[in-house]
Amino acid sequence: MIKNFIEKSWLLIVASLVFGLLLAGTNEKLGPMIKKQQALKFSKLAGNMIEGADKFEIVSEEPVKIKSAKGKDIEVKSLKKGVDKDGKILGWAFEAVGSGFADKIKLVIAVDAKFETIKGFGVLLSNETPGFGDKIGKPDHKFVTQFAGTPAEDLTLSKIGDYGKVDTEIVAISGATITSNAVVSIFNTYIGQVKAALKEKGLL
Amino acid sequence: MASDKKISLGNTFFAGIWKENPVFALLLGMCPTLAVTTTVGAALTMGASVIFVLICSNIVISMMRNLLKPHLRILMFTLTISTFVTIADLSLKAFLPDMSTKLGPFIPLIIVNCLIICRAEACASKNGIVISIVDAIGNGLGFTLALSILAAIRELLSTGEILGFTILANTETGGWYTPWAGMAMPVGAFVTLGLLLGVVNLINKKKA
Repeated sequence: MIKNFIEKSWLLIVASLVFGLLLAGTNEKLGPMIKKQQALKFSKLAGNMIEGADKFEIVSEEPVKIKSAKGKDIEVKSLKKGVDKDGKILGWAFEAVGSGFADKIKLVIAVDAKFETIKGFGVLLSNETPGFGDKIGKPDHKFVTQFAGTPAEDLTLSKIGDYGKVDTEIVAISGATITSNAVVSIFNTYIGQVKAALKEKGLL
Repeated sequence: MASDKKISLGNTFFAGIWKENPVFALLLGMCPTLAVTTTVGAALTMGASVIFVLICSNIVISMMRNLLKPHLRILMFTLTISTFVTIADLSLKAFLPDMSTKLGPFIPLIIVNCLIICRAEACASKNGIVISIVDAIGNGLGFTLALSILAAIRELLSTGEILGFTILANTETGGWYTPWAGMAMPVGAFVTLGLLLGVVNLINKKKA
């Protein structure tokens, strides 16, 4: 019975072992590079928004927990401070996640050192409709640039208005209201709570 | 004998590119064809990944073709293919992270791409290594070519650019061309693919 079993499946067993080892080796080799690339992307996006930042350091080992719009506990990933060469804090940046139109939207949000004005956002991951919602991924699009300089308070979305005016009223991308709304609600979920969490830790 | 072998190698290679082109003739692997052809860059990356997986899996399957038992055949194919796809996926994440996020789930989905299983079943499990490699390159190039043509048309019409070079001046930057957003969406893929298939059939009919 066992002989029969081995006879029929030895190739599969051997192949699984060999392929498994091959994958483990690849992962061992590429894993650190993938992590580095992700950290690099974060620093690049955040560095574009926080001018002069030399590097980004994790604020605390202990994860900061906030409540999502639906009341679920979520962890704020890579809450980092951007510091210049002398170690002076220039701003804060963190990853923020929320549901978009088609898929999750993952942003890097940057704010200034006092957590009073928003510096902007960059997209880490999104799968929004090409030609409409995916404009949030273009750093020089007027929807994206209007966030820079906005007070770090609750934002509202309007469908008409002036992109150039810097205030808490965010003007939507035409044809992509759901995506625009998603970005605004990610900001509203994170900004206030992250600010409170940083205050609690005595960092602000 | 030598010339016989040469002809059959050439035939195997060109069959993959035109006569048995996986996209235009066999209609295999429609999922990446429709999904990742929004830009030429994405199509080329997808094509390169498929060529890599196809060559590796064809080599491995061709080597173990005499050991394969009928009831374990598909299982072995999938195991081999998924290993190489995972390697391709990890490499893209490490070296081309932007492309990797753009292609999203479609790289892991190569595992179930019927083009690769088809080549394993139809060619690699019956032929020697050399023919299997040539077959893999031919089919892989045929697939890449088809994807690139589709992507070039769609990228040009939806943004006015190809690989970052402006061909049609976009209205957003003060030109005359209004981007055709539909071309970047699934509907654009279906329409373009349909028209291309029509053209290919027309050419084949005229030839016959």
